[in-house]
Amino acid sequence: MKYFFKIFFIIVLFSSYCVKADEVSNWLKGEIDTILDSYKNPSLSNFKRFELIEKTINNNFAGTGIAKFVAGESWQNASKVEKKDYIRLFKRHLALNIASLMQGYSDQNYELTNSKYDSKNKVSLIDMKIINETGNLLVTWRVKKSKNRNYVIDLIVADISLVVTKRSEFNSMLKKVNYNLLEFNKILDAQNESSYSIIIGN
Amino acid sequence: MANIKIFLLILLLIFSNLSISAEESDNVTTSSVDFETSNYEDEIYDPLESFNRAIFKFNNVADRIVLEPVAKGYRKLPSPVQSGISNFLSNLRTPLVIANQLLQGQGKNAAESTGRFVVNTTAGVLGIVDVAEKIGLEEKEEDFGQTLATWGVGDGFYIVLPIFGPSNIRDTAGMVMTYVTDPINAYAISEGEAWLIPLRTATNAVDQRSKIIDEVNALRDNSVDYYAAVRSSYYQNRKASILNTDDSELTPLPLISIEFE
Repeated sequence: MKYFFKIFFIIVLFSSYCVKADEVSNWLKGEIDTILDSYKNPSLSNFKRFELIEKTINNNFAGTGIAKFVAGESWQNASKVEKKDYIRLFKRHLALNIASLMQGYSDQNYELTNSKYDSKNKVSLIDMKIINETGNLLVTWRVKKSKNRNYVIDLIVADISLVVTKRSEFNSMLKKVNYNLLEFNKILDAQNESSYSIIIGN
Repeated sequence: MANIKIFLLILLLIFSNLSISAEESDNVTTSSVDFETSNYEDEIYDPLESFNRAIFKFNNVADRIVLEPVAKGYRKLPSPVQSGISNFLSNLRTPLVIANQLLQGQGKNAAESTGRFVVNTTAGVLGIVDVAEKIGLEEKEEDFGQTLATWGVGDGFYIVLPIFGPSNIRDTAGMVMTYVTDPINAYAISEGEAWLIPLRTATNAVDQRSKIIDEVNALRDNSVDYYAAVRSSYYQNRKASILNTDDSELTPLPLISIEFE
């Protein structure tokens, strides 16, 4: 009897982690479908489509936290206005990056294959398999919960983290402008304009 | 009575577990210095950066003019044809994969790869059909660069090779070892058919490129520094290949706080 309760106790603990991961998976599936369905909807103009995608990404990504992480040491010396401007530009940059990536997956099928909850870091890891006849691609979403809402904090495509890559990329460019966020914002703005024209033009 | 106590204890545990979950979600860290506490390798040793950037620029132009259009054309081929070419090329690499798995002490993986090679070369018609995967023998890649890393050889500095793209000193040495020791290459040379080597290399490049057209374009079109983005991606990808671990465990977790405006 003692062993039965021990096993039951372990199952209860384990199942609560599974439920947590599954709940996140369901939420994530809904958000991914919103983005992918927008590409399949021919009645949407490119402008409207991106507007919808940007809104979905801004609602579901921890944009501000990622922006700060990516800015690295330049964050500390920047003024409040520069930081605010940078966060605004970064959020658009993030949306453009995700939209561009997801556009490529819009004509492919996907399935969420695995989900687990990392209790140490309080992060859910959701594996998404992009199914292609010539080979599959694994994408892992990292999701953190706050105030009963889920936020994506990173996207890992074939072992490459979007956030780590962005931090390295931004750091390289920030070095060129002596970690001056004001100068960097101008570069980021120009890049966003260029990316936006490609997305809208497509 | 004892059972009732245990039952109540279990109920208590269930509810305490749920309340811990709720607390967790309400107490996500919001420290403004989160980003400073991570121990990332922001700097990749790149003493030849100016030179590398020039080569990278050349490679990028070559990619846009030659490789990408050819890869896009290749992707228009029927899926079975693409898979057949990809499987055939992969099967040709297998003898060296086995050798590297043995050099890294991966006996089980080496045995599986040998099984893959035998099954695919025979039942899979010279490797064109990946029969082995259907019976549970999954493909695992290993190369000399990974073997050297496993033996403790460091990356060395970052280098961009003309045409071949991003690498480092260790992986470049590994690549040379691959070309020198590849039994298929040796056979082609001994038969006076050395022209097959560049043809195989080029076909392999087109096949690999065709699989990442969307990802490369997304990175290229949306990077403030495309060179740095590719450099970082290369290092992350190689690190994952060397450690052979699950990507979600491997990739360092950014300490990102969630803030509300």
